[in-house]
Amino acid sequence: MGIFCSEKVIEMNQYENHHITASAKQLYSCHVCLTLNSFDEDHCINCGAKLHSRNKNSMQNTIALLVTSIILYVPANTLPIMYTQYLGEKTASTILGGVITLWSQGSYPIALIIFIASVLVPIAKILALSWLCYSVVTNKGYSFKKNHRLYRLTEFIGRWSMVDVFVVAILVALIQMGTFMSVHPGEAALAFGALVITTMIAAITFDSRLIWEPVNKKPDFEGEMVDG
Amino acid sequence: MTKTEQLACHECDLLVALPELSEGQKAVCPRCGYLLTRRVKNAQSRLAALSSGALLFLGLSVFFPFLSFTVQGNEREVTLLQSIYSIGDEIFLSVAIFLFLTTILIPAVFLTGMLYVLLSVKNKQLFPYTSKVLYGLFMLLPWDMSEIFLVGILVSFVKIATLADISFGLSFISYTLFILCLAATLMTLDKFQIWQWVKYRDERNGNIL
Repeated sequence: MGIFCSEKVIEMNQYENHHITASAKQLYSCHVCLTLNSFDEDHCINCGAKLHSRNKNSMQNTIALLVTSIILYVPANTLPIMYTQYLGEKTASTILGGVITLWSQGSYPIALIIFIASVLVPIAKILALSWLCYSVVTNKGYSFKKNHRLYRLTEFIGRWSMVDVFVVAILVALIQMGTFMSVHPGEAALAFGALVITTMIAAITFDSRLIWEPVNKKPDFEGEMVDG
Repeated sequence: MTKTEQLACHECDLLVALPELSEGQKAVCPRCGYLLTRRVKNAQSRLAALSSGALLFLGLSVFFPFLSFTVQGNEREVTLLQSIYSIGDEIFLSVAIFLFLTTILIPAVFLTGMLYVLLSVKNKQLFPYTSKVLYGLFMLLPWDMSEIFLVGILVSFVKIATLADISFGLSFISYTLFILCLAATLMTLDKFQIWQWVKYRDERNGNIL
């Protein structure tokens, strides 16, 4: 089987179409320590973890969490994320409101960071995961490599949405000067934090190995590998 | 065990025969491009040095002033822990707990666990629960958000820069150094390799876990 090395690339074109997976060879890859075990084993021979070929109920869990995050997206963006009290006057600001204020003050890079991390990333993540679930459930052969890249991106950027919750926390901690000037957290901080957590868990429970299922070769009755 | 280890790609389940890698090389899944494993020079010593450094800086960052904020002569100075529990005063206790977990406790537990595993591998005999600890380490990894916290601090600085003077405390520098060390630790860490160390230890001593 082919392999990339940082110094030289071993010729791998001839292996390109060998979609032989561990499960086709009746092997479990231990999700904890990566040891290969035969299907006869229940627990990993090396570390003792419970073995399974694919994450259990991966689709159901991911879809359930996605629905939760879509519901949470509404209060996270409509309720105020923080209240600012200045000289006795209390004003509420939503995430989008904060972005607009920053933009009008001229801090464009920061406005963009907040807009991307708090508005675009959660919605993009929900859409990306829904698309991945859809293509897995319908079992259609789209571009597997692109889908996989999409999954990896989703998993990587998801945590960065937390930035806005952290910003609120720091502002609340720093600006505590009674009626003169103070900042209090808003309800959206709670909803938004929950939103980020649910989308993160949704990405973790989604089993990326399912993306490749349509191209995997399956053993036929003589034990030969055939295209799936 | 033969020199060429077989391995299933963790992200697409493709069966791959891993060739012998020399230091500085990495193996990538030919199908999905997942980084299967990499060989870093002196990985064990590097990991030990970086993770103990990170732990030290994290520990130090708890004791000194973190940030200070001055507006019209009123100064407010907060430590790292104060900045977290002052939002817990309100009804947002869960947010405060989440902050504490993701920015302090989880990184601290992760680094301590890492040192435990490294010492255990260096020791003649594996310490108890080594594989359980190692399993836990990789579970905790996505929940470390210290670097996001740092970006959050920088963003909030820009937000209030027009209102007041803000200055960094000693803890802030320490916390930044902790994040750099932690990032370097994660760059060196390789799941496959660290499990190989544990496995090899195990086989040599004939232990069955």
